[in-house]
Amino acid sequence: MKARKSLSQFLEELKLESSFKENIVHWHTIDEKEAKTVDLPEDIDEKLARALERRGINRLYTHQYSSYQHIRAGKSIVAVTPTASGKTLCYNLPVLQSMVENPHTRALYIFPTKALAQDQKSEINELIQEAGLDINSYTYDGDTSPSIRSKVRKAGHVVITNPDMLHAAILPHHTKWVALFENLKYVVIDELHIYRGVFGSHVANVIRRLRRICRFYGSDPVFICTSATIANPLELAEQLTEKKMELVDNNGAPSGRKHFVFYNPPIINKPLNIRRSATLEARKLAGELLKNKIQTIVFARSRVRVEILLTYLQELVKHQLGPKAIRGYRGGYLPTERRAIEKGLRNGDIYGVVSTNALELGVDIGQLQVCIMTGYPGSIASSWQQAGRAGRRHSESLVIMVASSNPLDQYIIQHPDYFFGSSPETARINPDNLIILIDHIKCAAYELPFKSGEVFGSFDTEEILEYLAEERVLYKNGDKWYWMNDSFPAHNVSLRSASQENVVIIDQTNIAKVRVIGEMDRFSAMTLLHEEAIYLHQGIQYQVEKLDWEEKKAFVREVKVDYFTDANLAVELKVLEEDKKRTSDHIEMAYGDVSVLAKATIFKKIKFETHENIGSGPIFLPEEELHTSAAWISMNKKETGLSESRLEQGLLGAAHALGSIAPLFVMSDRSDIHVVPQVKAVHNDKPTIFFYDRYPGGVGLSEKIYEGMENVLQETKALIERCGCENGCPSCVGMDSRTESAKEDALRLLKMFLGK
Amino acid sequence: MSSLRKKIDRMKTHLGSENAPENPPPSANRESGEKTRADIPFLEQWEKENVHPYFFDGEYCLVREKRFPLDLKHGKYRFSQFIDAVSAWHRSESSHPLSAKVFSPEDLFFFDIETTGLGGGTGNTIFLLGQASIEGDSVVLKQHFLPRPGAEVPLYQSFLESINYSTLVTYNGKSFDWPLVKTKHTLIREHLPRLPSFGHFDLFHAAKRLWKHKLERLKLSVVEEEVLGIKREHDIPGFLAPMIYFDFVERQNPEGIIAVMKHNETDILSLITLYIHLTFQLLGIDHKQTAKEIFEVGRWYAYLGETGRAAEAFSHAAESGGAASIEAKLALSRQLKKQQKWLEAVRLWKEVADGQQNDAAFQACIELAKFYEHKEKNIQNAILYAKKAETLLNKEWKMNHSEKNGRLSEEVQKRIQRLNRKILTL
Repeated sequence: MKARKSLSQFLEELKLESSFKENIVHWHTIDEKEAKTVDLPEDIDEKLARALERRGINRLYTHQYSSYQHIRAGKSIVAVTPTASGKTLCYNLPVLQSMVENPHTRALYIFPTKALAQDQKSEINELIQEAGLDINSYTYDGDTSPSIRSKVRKAGHVVITNPDMLHAAILPHHTKWVALFENLKYVVIDELHIYRGVFGSHVANVIRRLRRICRFYGSDPVFICTSATIANPLELAEQLTEKKMELVDNNGAPSGRKHFVFYNPPIINKPLNIRRSATLEARKLAGELLKNKIQTIVFARSRVRVEILLTYLQELVKHQLGPKAIRGYRGGYLPTERRAIEKGLRNGDIYGVVSTNALELGVDIGQLQVCIMTGYPGSIASSWQQAGRAGRRHSESLVIMVASSNPLDQYIIQHPDYFFGSSPETARINPDNLIILIDHIKCAAYELPFKSGEVFGSFDTEEILEYLAEERVLYKNGDKWYWMNDSFPAHNVSLRSASQENVVIIDQTNIAKVRVIGEMDRFSAMTLLHEEAIYLHQGIQYQVEKLDWEEKKAFVREVKVDYFTDANLAVELKVLEEDKKRTSDHIEMAYGDVSVLAKATIFKKIKFETHENIGSGPIFLPEEELHTSAAWISMNKKETGLSESRLEQGLLGAAHALGSIAPLFVMSDRSDIHVVPQVKAVHNDKPTIFFYDRYPGGVGLSEKIYEGMENVLQETKALIERCGCENGCPSCVGMDSRTESAKEDALRLLKMFLGK
Repeated sequence: MSSLRKKIDRMKTHLGSENAPENPPPSANRESGEKTRADIPFLEQWEKENVHPYFFDGEYCLVREKRFPLDLKHGKYRFSQFIDAVSAWHRSESSHPLSAKVFSPEDLFFFDIETTGLGGGTGNTIFLLGQASIEGDSVVLKQHFLPRPGAEVPLYQSFLESINYSTLVTYNGKSFDWPLVKTKHTLIREHLPRLPSFGHFDLFHAAKRLWKHKLERLKLSVVEEEVLGIKREHDIPGFLAPMIYFDFVERQNPEGIIAVMKHNETDILSLITLYIHLTFQLLGIDHKQTAKEIFEVGRWYAYLGETGRAAEAFSHAAESGGAASIEAKLALSRQLKKQQKWLEAVRLWKEVADGQQNDAAFQACIELAKFYEHKEKNIQNAILYAKKAETLLNKEWKMNHSEKNGRLSEEVQKRIQRLNRKILTL
């Protein structure tokens, strides 16, 4: 019988075994860190202090102490804390202390997911019980049974919820929550960094509504935010809450020794610079670890990748561990399914989990020893969050980042200094995005009438109120605007998905037992749920048999095939209005509003192991129109000195590389910002490259690109120059441009854009 | 046009519209300051319909009042029978939740609202609060109407001045009407007296208990037609009320609203009839009660723990013959079993076991098997009935492979096996 390897044996093997060693481009060790602690604050209630001592807490970490002092002084804070640094005490301690002093005090905790809320409820309740306090804390979400809802509303000191519930269930029914709103002293916003982009812009408006209702009941709560490391936690917190904030970043928590390994899969096609797929390499590494029962989490960037890896891994260790020992975890699974997985991880029944970034958040899944990232997660902040999943409880741990062939991954993996040295990304939100704003002004008007001249957060509402009165949603009487419609506006606004209606996925494999297995936003559905698409759910393949676009339903049936599908999106773009512009010589950079027409065109069937194209078909779906903000850069065609076709290929290549680098600057998912080249842009007839926000109205991503255009161009140029391929490869200019000069021409164009 | 406004227009395709305007928007914001009679459009027309303004705090609402003589018949009953119903409760010992034992007829008020939307959110506006009660020899109906959003203070002031009662009677008011009144009151509570607390008879729940078996939907209008013998003529359907109100706010013409008021009037008057009818059912005064209804009344008393009344109703229903009588016998036997009146219980079980209704016969056989096994210690007989139960279940199984039948079958098998073992050890 073979003995199982321990993690340290595996680390040795990584260093010595050539099939691993050769692929390791960087090995970064982060030493353990000593704790920095302070005495418990003197004013802490005896019962609380003793409860903490019984749980082994005799002193506070420095950041917990600073948080306590600021909050007790009535200041709002944002605390920046890495995973497993005891951040919950930053808010639980001052909140509970205030409740001991005044039993009427109420607090609202907002977590981005239900899973996190459940976790936090257990945590705070343990402390309350230990201290023998008469304080009630409850979760209030879709899972809360109707029989206890009224108790939560009236008697909950700490109400733990999520932004969606706050938006659709609490605020529109605020009169049932008088006890909460009249006495609301604290609002806790955990995982602040999650509230960026579209979601963050929505949540900022939900908070505007929350504060408006608090004012109505005469309260003005202190906001306590906690965030993972991002470049602008203070700015984000202040933008989200419109409150002055204190930054707490003196982390005093200890951490265990961590090995951070950069792993670049071997090149298998030299001229094209094609590397072995990251998915295959991650599978190899994870398989090795799991066979030795070393608890491992594998992150993959998309739902599809999760499912592919899951299929691979379950097959691999089926006999040693049984198929249930490795599970998938991502959004789109139903809640009960997710709860079971979380529990299995905590109690050790599950050895491995393959996840999207859904598990980046602080759900307590216990101690995992190894984290494998299949591809760069897209941002430095995300990478550290994912890395924090390994070795939470101060033991030695290993993080392996397996690079894929895409340019951003290759850029990061070849620049460890950039990764370890530079500050992480900026989180951007745009609470004044008109579409988002108007939706929330409707919701706010439903909650309380608007007074003339009232500002909504920092936004002047007059023109929007008049517009809504014209649309007969509001009615003006005297100096107030009243809701005058039979609808319930919050039900028409989803905080999470870009488009407002989701497509429901229905499994009709068993005609007698048709069931809903998930849902997906409309824009993603165009390329993932078109007819004949292969949709994966918990490692099971389904083929889409019918997509009812009108009714937003996708009917799927279980299949067993050896390929997945990949769809193309064709895009047409028009400039509507130019808000900002700067020019130099023949170069023109601008920012403004655009209209985008997108249409899914064809899909390809791609074989699992070899990734070869084994078939294709058309997609028949209507065009989707998008009005959004965009940044663009143009030059005069004759200055390029290139033929029409070489110009086109060059632009295509440059756009591909730019599209991979751009997310670096704006902390977004690759799909949130799109890059589109045009040989002859409609508005100025010039060769132009556009960067547009995928969400209607924009959420500030393209504006940030406009501001830092030179930087983006510079880094992209560097990426292409350093790429080892001959005539362009997926890691730099992509494979869409199939001419020999594409790489050279893309570089030439980038240089010209930079004015060289 | 401002650039913000231009942007709004451009984004229109992405802005979900609640409804598309066809006409110019309502002419809002006409005037401010104290309102007088002169400010009320169509006042003459209103007053012709007995609708008069109520001024408060510089604003006004409209109030409609109407009296009906007690001998007026609405559906099956005259309003005067409401007084009989209250007296009947006085004579009764029952502590049924609908009992008016401690009230006089004038203490109750019948209540129903009309709103601009569904559900209990804060933005759902109540534009009509209707109430009725007994006053001397009349039923007095009073309706408080919101002439436009923003006039809530006089509306609720007028309403609060008119509700000096102890208990309200509604249809689904426990989950809809009253919580919404509380919500709207909370929004302007600093301008108003406190909202008093009331007892509450919600007749919807009663209707559900008694007529769920025969009515597919339990909307008040269905109960009116199917149970109370009330025919509505020229009635506007309730779901149109919000649209009629929006139209009124825009054009101020009372015509549509008066129709809504009449609809609300019928709703409220029907509550009186419904209360009379329910009382007569519950107290066994109605002699046209069906066996099934009597049975349901018995079930309700059983649920409330009033075993005597339950047994009375069950035996009454059991005498009727027909399907309901078998159910009633079974229910009655359970009451008897609780009271350990074995002899009578066994008699009923045997009747049911020999009857035509498989499901009931099956249950009776099981009861008999239990009785013979545990009480009589007559294992032979117990086996006899257990096997009879099995045969009955097998018949069922052929028609319906349900999960429940599967489970029952397993249980019967176990019972028979156990009995067989017992007989061997005897």
